[in-house]
Amino acid sequence: MIVTLNWLKDFVDIDVSPEKLAELLTNSGNEVEEIIYQDKYLKNVVVGKILKIEQHPNAEKLVVCQVDIGTKVTQIITAAKNVFEGAIVPVSLAGANLANGIHIEDSKLRGLDSFGMFCSIEELGVTDYDGEKDGIMILDNDLVPGTEIAKALMMDDVIFDVNVTANRPDCMSIIGIAREVSALTGKPLKEQNLYYETNNENVSDYVSVEVENTELCPRYMATALKDVKLEKSPKWLRARLVAVGIKPICNIVDITNYVLMEYGQPMHAFDHKYLGGKKIIVRNAKKGESLKVLNQNTYDLDEKMLCICDANGPSVIAGIIGGTYSSIQEDTKTVVFESAAFERASIRRTSRRIGVRTDSTARFEKGVDVGSPEYGMKRALNLVYELKAGTIVSGVIDTVKEQPKNRDLEFSLNRIFKLLGIRVENDKVLNILNNLGIKSKIDGDKLFCNVPVFRSDIENDADIAEEIIRMYGYGVYDSIETAPLSSASVTVGKHDKVLLLARNLKYELCDYGYFEAVNFSICSDDVKDKLLINPEDKMYNMIKIANPISEDLGYVRTSMANGMFLTVARNLARKNSGFKLFEVGRVYIPKSLPLTELPDEINMLSLCSVDPKDDFFVLKGIMENLLRDFEFEYKLEYSKLPYLHPGISADVIDINTNVKVASFGQVHPKVCKNFDLPEKTFYGEVNLDALAALKEKTHSVKALSKFPIVERDLAIVCDESLTVDTIIGCVKKSCGNLYYGAKVFDIYRSAELGENKKSVAFNFQLQSYDKTLTDDEINQVVKKVLKDLQYKTGAVLR
Amino acid sequence: MEKKITEFLEKAKQELATCNALKPLNDLRVKFLGKQGELTAFLRSMKDVPNEDKPKIGQLINKARQEVEEKINELQRKLEEKVLEEKLSRQKVDITEPSKVPEKGEIHPLHKVFDKLIDCCVEMGFTVVTGPEIEYDYYNFEALNVPKDHPARDMQDTFFISDNILMRSQTSSVQVHAMETMKPPFRIVSPGRTYRADSDATHSPVFHQFEGLVVDENISMIDLKSMLTNLLSMLFGENTKVRFRPSYFPFTEPSVEVDATCPSCGGKGCKLCKGTGFMELLGAGMVNPKVLEMSGIDSKKYTGFAFGPGVDRLAMVVNKIPDLRMMFENDIKFLEQLK
Repeated sequence: MIVTLNWLKDFVDIDVSPEKLAELLTNSGNEVEEIIYQDKYLKNVVVGKILKIEQHPNAEKLVVCQVDIGTKVTQIITAAKNVFEGAIVPVSLAGANLANGIHIEDSKLRGLDSFGMFCSIEELGVTDYDGEKDGIMILDNDLVPGTEIAKALMMDDVIFDVNVTANRPDCMSIIGIAREVSALTGKPLKEQNLYYETNNENVSDYVSVEVENTELCPRYMATALKDVKLEKSPKWLRARLVAVGIKPICNIVDITNYVLMEYGQPMHAFDHKYLGGKKIIVRNAKKGESLKVLNQNTYDLDEKMLCICDANGPSVIAGIIGGTYSSIQEDTKTVVFESAAFERASIRRTSRRIGVRTDSTARFEKGVDVGSPEYGMKRALNLVYELKAGTIVSGVIDTVKEQPKNRDLEFSLNRIFKLLGIRVENDKVLNILNNLGIKSKIDGDKLFCNVPVFRSDIENDADIAEEIIRMYGYGVYDSIETAPLSSASVTVGKHDKVLLLARNLKYELCDYGYFEAVNFSICSDDVKDKLLINPEDKMYNMIKIANPISEDLGYVRTSMANGMFLTVARNLARKNSGFKLFEVGRVYIPKSLPLTELPDEINMLSLCSVDPKDDFFVLKGIMENLLRDFEFEYKLEYSKLPYLHPGISADVIDINTNVKVASFGQVHPKVCKNFDLPEKTFYGEVNLDALAALKEKTHSVKALSKFPIVERDLAIVCDESLTVDTIIGCVKKSCGNLYYGAKVFDIYRSAELGENKKSVAFNFQLQSYDKTLTDDEINQVVKKVLKDLQYKTGAVLR
Repeated sequence: MEKKITEFLEKAKQELATCNALKPLNDLRVKFLGKQGELTAFLRSMKDVPNEDKPKIGQLINKARQEVEEKINELQRKLEEKVLEEKLSRQKVDITEPSKVPEKGEIHPLHKVFDKLIDCCVEMGFTVVTGPEIEYDYYNFEALNVPKDHPARDMQDTFFISDNILMRSQTSSVQVHAMETMKPPFRIVSPGRTYRADSDATHSPVFHQFEGLVVDENISMIDLKSMLTNLLSMLFGENTKVRFRPSYFPFTEPSVEVDATCPSCGGKGCKLCKGTGFMELLGAGMVNPKVLEMSGIDSKKYTGFAFGPGVDRLAMVVNKIPDLRMMFENDIKFLEQLK
């Protein structure tokens, strides 16, 4: 909301500096985002009168002017073409800093002194000017030389850009901010005399109003003006509109805009001759109706949109934008003024639907109270009268069923102070509320308030608490220091199980040299193709965002892989190499599409390595370590994840529940190509929810045997298809209760061994709880191991 | 005999005194004490000593042996010590060579801040909860006093999935779940991802918030202030001061913007805080009684406060990260700087 100092002063005396005023407003909830001094670029610029123009003796394109600048006659040299003797022009003198960045100093031009420069509108930052835009600005003849240009152009105001919060629609107006200023400074609001005179004709002879939907339009006021003289508004009014960023058009339109800014009441003016049947009907649009509006677009209307119609159909999309047909035109003679209140949600909905937002919409969608149209209409008619813009007919049509009344509400001081944590003296409370226009009295704990119509935001103790503290000043808390939550009940803190698990795994991955990444959980549609996800896969169905900001971010991810691969590829493109990354985040699996219930959100850990030292088995070791704290038996199967290499990958499956807890492996070569990843890219993911659901591992420690452990190494030759797991399982079984441990330490293949054969060397350890094992006993076990291996797997000693 | 022994002793001492290495010392040991050594020769010649002198001479020989032995041992210790010292003085690594332990990775700055916030709040008796990121309109807006088509919806550009399902625009949605399921008094915090249709130098469509909510019988603005002072001091240092400025959020009343002492200049005023000495860090307020009532909590009996900093911003302030986008590009060169 833009307000100006001079405009505010129409309503309340202000004797503090603009900076102080901004601080007061900001500290009470109406944050001033910017203060603009209109005369910022107009210092040392004055009105001058050109007395004499002579050709410059040394330059063909320059002329030498003698200029009266009030205090003296001075010489200025110019190349401007549109100057003439007797012209009143803006003259910038030494020291001036103009809007286009030019700094003025006395100078010599081709040997002659020049003590300043004539200015164009661009150099002064003037927007409201009818003359030639490129040349020197020619000012009104009645201006006195020497007058400061800011005064002469009425550009001496101070503009405040106030950030009005959504709960204070009443502050979307000069008078609303003036009320706040009054409450802050203690200066009373000035009485406004909204006087106007009417003729003897009755408004009902000009127009009738019928509101079909009173829910969406609780109040509609209308009256008529005849013999309207459309012309430019007076300079002061135009200057005000320009200051708040509204382009002046003609008196009637300017008046509606002036009232919009001043009272926050959007107005509309119809050309009476285009009001079919001399009727205004406020109703919802009918199917098939459309309207061409002032932005030159035509919109199809639907039954939810409120319209102001005449006998023939819609004239205005209520509260948003007027139709071209019934708008004010050059030949308009009779005008009908509308001042109404519309239900805010309906305006907002319609505005969104058609994508049009105007100054009117901005106010209606925040809420224009039912009392407001009356003041708006009065002010508009008062301006018509003062500007002699037309003849006002007698009477104003008003559809309101009952006059809006202030609400009498009762609050509890104790509850208010309990919220604030401080007590404010009763006198101070009453003073604050009364200054805000909320007439109040106190009886013991009870606070009685008469809340004005325009403060619809005030309903409960908390609302009053806020009014008190924002005026009293939040600074009161600066010096209060207590222990945290000292007056609260004791509660015991607790971590979230999944987040805590994630954190533990994350720190462990850091130990392996992994860095944490944070990737977007929204992605593009082509992700499923790039990841080779087929339509049967539940990852295929990604949730679509209805209003995405770009194609790339239009869907919600069903896999962690895309974000990770993009990040890895980005790093590689930036010449980073040999790095490892992980991410903790969610994937979002819809139960069905389009979404009718919330999707499953699964917490996942993903990891990826392009470290040349890594391979499948390094990743396997990391995975085993990540899973080791849980009590579950798992098996490895070749992974079904489409983006992993089918033969160099594994799914970790809980044997008891058949739930997949993790997957890892080399990335599928096609996927590597799609994402520009090296062939040896390793990726893994862990379902944190599934992992967190498992029981934590428990231990029961066995006594240690006093007898020595003996070890034996064996190497066998077997078929390629025989897995290490099978070999070790077999060895374990053969050793029986003497088994202590076994592990493979070498695998090799050679032509000598033959095709599809490999040599596996392993070490196994034996120990007895009862005695030291003799060589005989050991050899028997070794024999059994070899025999069993051969019998069960066909493996032979090498 | 006696004289010979004395002379031997004298000579041995002299020879030992000039011995300065282990090898010659060993030669001397053999020469004096060995089986063919001089002292052994004395013992052999004992047979020529008259019987009455034997004990005396025997004693003399033993004493001389003891003396020489001690001298040799002492010298040996000294020489060994010297050898070791020489060896140690030669054995010297370049301690600035790189370590052989593989380098560690690092937690993302965002999550470092999250973890700190979580730990601090758990210590203060808060329970950590999480909630859905794809959420019903009711939990994200309506139950937080933002009905459909309310102007406060303009405060955030929300991604919608359907008419009543959206990408949550604030972690405040978790407040509603907590109030529906937990009985006061309770304290919760909820870290998480949030989404808004906004993307520029200072806004990311995916960002992170840390929601806090306390509901109890005697909660006031003072509790809010003291709790936040504690939390922000943990993040920015002991002397962090907190101040309130008026603001508006539909679900809190009164609502405040919370500023903390600028961590960069400690409140003196600098470029980062635009000379104010303070930095705007989060929004907070007392839970609007309407919100409590909507979730079935008696607002006459219970009050509460809520707060919700943007954690991306906190992480940027803590680590002086110059550009929000760096946080989501995950360039290793960026992440390495945070080790």
